[in-house]
Amino acid sequence: MENEGRRKFLGVCVAGATAAAAVAAGYPVFRYLAPKSGQGGAAKLVIPVGELKEGDAKFFEFAGSSAVLIKTKSGELVALSAVCTHLGCIVQWVKEKQQFLCPCHGGQFSTDGTVLGGPPPRPLAKIPLTVTEGNITIG
Amino acid sequence: MLKRLYRWLDLRIGVGEIVEKELTGYLLPRNINEWYSLGSVLLVIFALQVITGMLLMIYYVPDADKAFKSVTFIMNEVPYGWLIRLCHAVGSNMMVAVLILHMLSTLLMGSYKAPRELNWVTGFTLLALVQGISLTGYLAPWSQLSFWATTVATNSASAVPVVGPYLVEFLRGGKLVGPPTLGRFFALHAAVLPVVIAAVIGAHLFLLKRTGISAPPFGREGTANPFEAQQYHYQGHPGGIPFFPNYVLQDLTSISIYFAVFLAVVFFWPGMPFTPDAFVPADPFKTPAHIKPEWYFLANYQTLKIFPSELLGLSVQAAAMTFLALLPFIDRSPERHPLKRPVFLTLVIAGILLWIALSVWGHLS
Ligand code: FES
Repeated sequence: MENEGRRKFLGVCVAGATAAAAVAAGYPVFRYLAPKSGQGGAAKLVIPVGELKEGDAKFFEFAGSSAVLIKTKSGELVALSAVCTHLGCIVQWVKEKQQFLCPCHGGQFSTDGTVLGGPPPRPLAKIPLTVTEGNITIG
Repeated sequence: MLKRLYRWLDLRIGVGEIVEKELTGYLLPRNINEWYSLGSVLLVIFALQVITGMLLMIYYVPDADKAFKSVTFIMNEVPYGWLIRLCHAVGSNMMVAVLILHMLSTLLMGSYKAPRELNWVTGFTLLALVQGISLTGYLAPWSQLSFWATTVATNSASAVPVVGPYLVEFLRGGKLVGPPTLGRFFALHAAVLPVVIAAVIGAHLFLLKRTGISAPPFGREGTANPFEAQQYHYQGHPGGIPFFPNYVLQDLTSISIYFAVFLAVVFFWPGMPFTPDAFVPADPFKTPAHIKPEWYFLANYQTLKIFPSELLGLSVQAAAMTFLALLPFIDRSPERHPLKRPVFLTLVIAGILLWIALSVWGHLS
């Protein structure tokens, strides 16, 4: 009986020590593998106004993801996330139609990001921007 | 829960039978000692090298322009990158050291003798392969140390008559060590050699299982049944101690002791695998002073230096290595107790002392 108890106690100790060792070894490996937060470029971006003609779109990296800046025919500036809300493909700009087309499953978005057709469930996310002295600041 | 899983597996694939045959029913000589667990320690070290190596590959870039930067990035930026890299670098040194101990114990206990000649030969092959994987990995960080140590090491092949210069060029992938060298060394280090080593380890273990483990020539009463070269038979140890749980405990003890030493080096002597040149990016136009190979190559390095001709130095080493590799075929008396083999014992001790002396000399010169 006493032996049984001792055995159990030792077993628990060994299990505990093993678990602790596994955590001690596993945590560094996890941190080593985990992507760094805040990685992937600035959360603010400045683009000169002159860089974009009317009806054109410019794709760029923004906060670790893809984004697009467009100047509509009426001269309005819009910044949107370029990540399709369906399954995450990057949308393309169709200049002739002045709208976005997702090449993966044919999702369509208008210049302000609203869904015009296809499977995407939500509009493209808008990114705030300000224009000061010929510079567009995004973010 | 575990018991049910075990039963589930047993019903399907008969694990019980395997356990019975390979673990609880696998009997070892009663007088087995601690030194027999070094093989398990080496398996653990090798596994750890493979794991840390795979992890390093995530951030390491095998490109001459980027290698040094990527290693610096691992060391300074990646969370715990220093730990993974140190484990890999220190682990490689430890692997060579433990391998040497493993071979010395085999040597002193005469376990290499018939019928285990092939175990010795595969083990010796593993030593050469481990040296090769260490040498090729040494270039990876593309530091001054890596670059010039590799230059010196590959250069020694030029002493081979006739084909020497061509051989050096072939090894380097060019006239000098350069980006092509890194490419081929990296492929060898990370793809070719690990697979070959794993395969030879497999063969080594297979041989161990077929022949049966040797009994130490001393200690408590032996269970030896001497080998007679009449017919193949498995050398069992009836009445011996079971591998599981008895010897597994010894294996675990040895592995724990190993980890204590290993981690002590990693945490308290992190500079062990490096010299100051390891922190300077490779510069093909500037040879640093006092470039030296790793400790386990120092004796070879010194031998090359003391002979007037490189060819002679190289031949002496080749002869010594061949002699050691073929030892079981040369030394064929059945006696295995070291104290009953005074000539052999003297030679072994003299050999070790010579090796140490050459290494120290190489280090100091
Ligand atoms: S991912 Fe864009 S439509 Fe499916």
